[in-house]
Amino acid sequence: MESLLNKNKKADRINGSKIPKMKLTNKITLALISVGLVSSAAHGAEISDADLTALKQQIADLDQKVRVLEREREIDGETAATQAQSTAKLTVGQNGVNFISGDTNFVIQLHGLAQFDSRSFFNDAHINGNDAFLLRRLRPILTGTVFHDFDFNFTPDFGGSTVQVLDAYINYRYEPWFQIQGGKYKSPIGLEQLQSDPVTSFNERSIANNLVPNRDIGIDLHGDIYDGVASYALGIFDGSTDYNGTTATTSFQDDKAVEGRLIFQPFKETKIDALRGLGFGVAGSYIFSNPATNTSTGLTPGYLTDGQQKFFSYNTGVNASGAGWRISPQAYYYYGPFGLLAEYVISDQNAKRTAAGATPTYDVQNSAWEISGGWVLTGEDASYNGITPRHPFNLHGGGWGAWQLVARYGELDIDDNVFVGATNVRLADPTKNADEAQAWSIGLNWYLNKNIRANLSYSRTTFSSYANTKFAAGNVVSQPENVLFSRLQLSF
Amino acid sequence: MTNLLKILLVASVAISAGAKEVKLLNVSYDPTRELYTEYNAAFAKYWKAKTGDDVTVSQSHGGSGKQAQAVINGLEADVVTLALAYDIDAISQQAHLLPADWQAKLPNASTPYTSTIVFLVRKGNPKGIKDWDDLVKKGTSVVVANPKTSGGARWAYLAAYAYALEKNNHDDAAARAYIKKLYKNVPVLDSGARGSTVTFAQRGIGDVLLAWENEAHLALKEFGDDKYEIVTPSLSILAEPPVAVVAKNAKRHGTTDVANEYLKYLYSDEAQEIAAKNFYRPTNEAIAQKYTANFNQLKLVTLKDEFKSWANAQQTHFADGGVFDQIYQP
Repeated sequence: MESLLNKNKKADRINGSKIPKMKLTNKITLALISVGLVSSAAHGAEISDADLTALKQQIADLDQKVRVLEREREIDGETAATQAQSTAKLTVGQNGVNFISGDTNFVIQLHGLAQFDSRSFFNDAHINGNDAFLLRRLRPILTGTVFHDFDFNFTPDFGGSTVQVLDAYINYRYEPWFQIQGGKYKSPIGLEQLQSDPVTSFNERSIANNLVPNRDIGIDLHGDIYDGVASYALGIFDGSTDYNGTTATTSFQDDKAVEGRLIFQPFKETKIDALRGLGFGVAGSYIFSNPATNTSTGLTPGYLTDGQQKFFSYNTGVNASGAGWRISPQAYYYYGPFGLLAEYVISDQNAKRTAAGATPTYDVQNSAWEISGGWVLTGEDASYNGITPRHPFNLHGGGWGAWQLVARYGELDIDDNVFVGATNVRLADPTKNADEAQAWSIGLNWYLNKNIRANLSYSRTTFSSYANTKFAAGNVVSQPENVLFSRLQLSF
Repeated sequence: MTNLLKILLVASVAISAGAKEVKLLNVSYDPTRELYTEYNAAFAKYWKAKTGDDVTVSQSHGGSGKQAQAVINGLEADVVTLALAYDIDAISQQAHLLPADWQAKLPNASTPYTSTIVFLVRKGNPKGIKDWDDLVKKGTSVVVANPKTSGGARWAYLAAYAYALEKNNHDDAAARAYIKKLYKNVPVLDSGARGSTVTFAQRGIGDVLLAWENEAHLALKEFGDDKYEIVTPSLSILAEPPVAVVAKNAKRHGTTDVANEYLKYLYSDEAQEIAAKNFYRPTNEAIAQKYTANFNQLKLVTLKDEFKSWANAQQTHFADGGVFDQIYQP
């Protein structure tokens, strides 16, 4: 009767601790007999047969009661264990709120991100760049997994000037190397863009980030191969313009963009510590055609400085006209407290001005690059996915959190083609738009704990004009931009 | 001859190459582990010989009511072999996984074997238990499972109630008084029949176990007839544990044909002999006759005769607020 024996072994354990079922009752029985006999002997009286029989019966009754109590405890334990399997669990911690169903088929997680920023502009004659406090990002983030293999994410954003749905997608994980994702999410192109918003080094992403798309709507195949030694993504999307602060919600044309990325971390599994954090790869996109359309220009609404001021935009009536592609070699390196991230982007798009009369189509190839680095002064490991302080800030306990020094340099070069031609055919006004922008930044980040962070940084952006054209007064580009940033952030 | 051998060899290779592997899940009640271990091996052999396919049957065991609820909640049973028709009716009504007329699909109202409730007492029968009346005596401790969760316990309850009805000229008030006294002598309620056997045989609790007949014989076999003995009461209930294909699950799994055959084979001579050897009363009369020594003779009343139907018995006795809730105080 193997099953009876197994049931016996299972019943031997109550709440994880083994109770020697017979030992306890035998000990009690022996103890009671001993007490009875000793008690009788102490009185110096002989025990009659009737008394002995009564005593034995009493002991037998007590023995049964103890056995019943033990068995009830076993049954209660089994019942509790069975109920626990079907009972949903709720946990709250530094990673947010988690609900897990008893059968683990449904997992829902609630996270959040709140960023309270300040920007102060210097030496701008109060013309541009309003000094401001702002809620840069305010997001409840709902993620989860159903039936173990289907992940989802729904993230609205209430920060900034518009409420928008940032992310809304479902991901099916057949295997780590084979996953299918569909919905709205970050395009698999920009290295800094793909970094999660709570962990970027500075308040705003670099000037090079202007040339990569933000979110897009589509479907892709992606995965990690050999435990992430190689990662890939390849998908079809509506096609987003170069960085757009307010992300698209519908397609502006019939044709679709193909976007993809391939990243290698060749030393990830080796014993060479100093090389394990090295990763490099390339990303790109191609849109099959991009006809001029009235619903959207198909071009970026403009490129922004670190201070989020527009330093370049196309003239009114300029639309995309023809194929467009991007390519972005990129790399990162993390070793101990040191981190480095770099990318180069080319964004090529045919464009023309749809003014009356024939206008030429220009092949506009804008390029940008950036390199940013950081050093965690308190010794914690730097990583693409953020920093966790070893000793969270606690005035009473003596912990000071983690401190990180960061620096960045980037350049963006606008194709000269956009400035050529007569006023009615050129794509952009050289007196109001920069031909080149160079930005450097330096900052100090304080990670009080895993959930609270404070930033302080300074950025300076300078501008060059096309063919030494004099910038018109009062424009963003007519003087360098100097901005002091601060941020208080909550994320969980 | 050589050519014939070659042809046979090629044919067998072809058959093997085309052999399918089929998996079934049989959700059953608590005490049928040993029965289905033996039956599943026999069926697999039969199916392999008949079709060339390999069939693996997984088993799930537990209190009949709990098992039915598990299937309703999504346990992907291909077949259910539960303690009472009411539990399978619940699967049909609540989850619509099989048709309402499921019981008509197989012979004997889909009951390939029957059983009854007997008493298992300690060797020597120190409390002198002979019949149901002895169970309500002061100082007699009775072990039985919870009728709210265990199909066997529901049969035991109904057997006791039926005895009280028969003895008291079908006076319901007298029967209730009897059943109340009986459960006052029950110190602990397990969720299933196998648990109550553990309570009695392993934990040494109680003077008598109200057990499935097969469970009582199994206990003698495993623990030794020097420790326990079976007492057959004067009257008991004919327990009719039915079987059914969970049609929607089987269709989804593509196992309908195998599942149907799995249950039909329970009526075969081989399966009926397996049932008898495991102390389930075969419905095949010839085999029942062959194994008559395994089973004591006693008066068996049916549920239909005493309680009209399972729906009525459930509503009257086991539903929330029913007779059991009224008489049992833990």
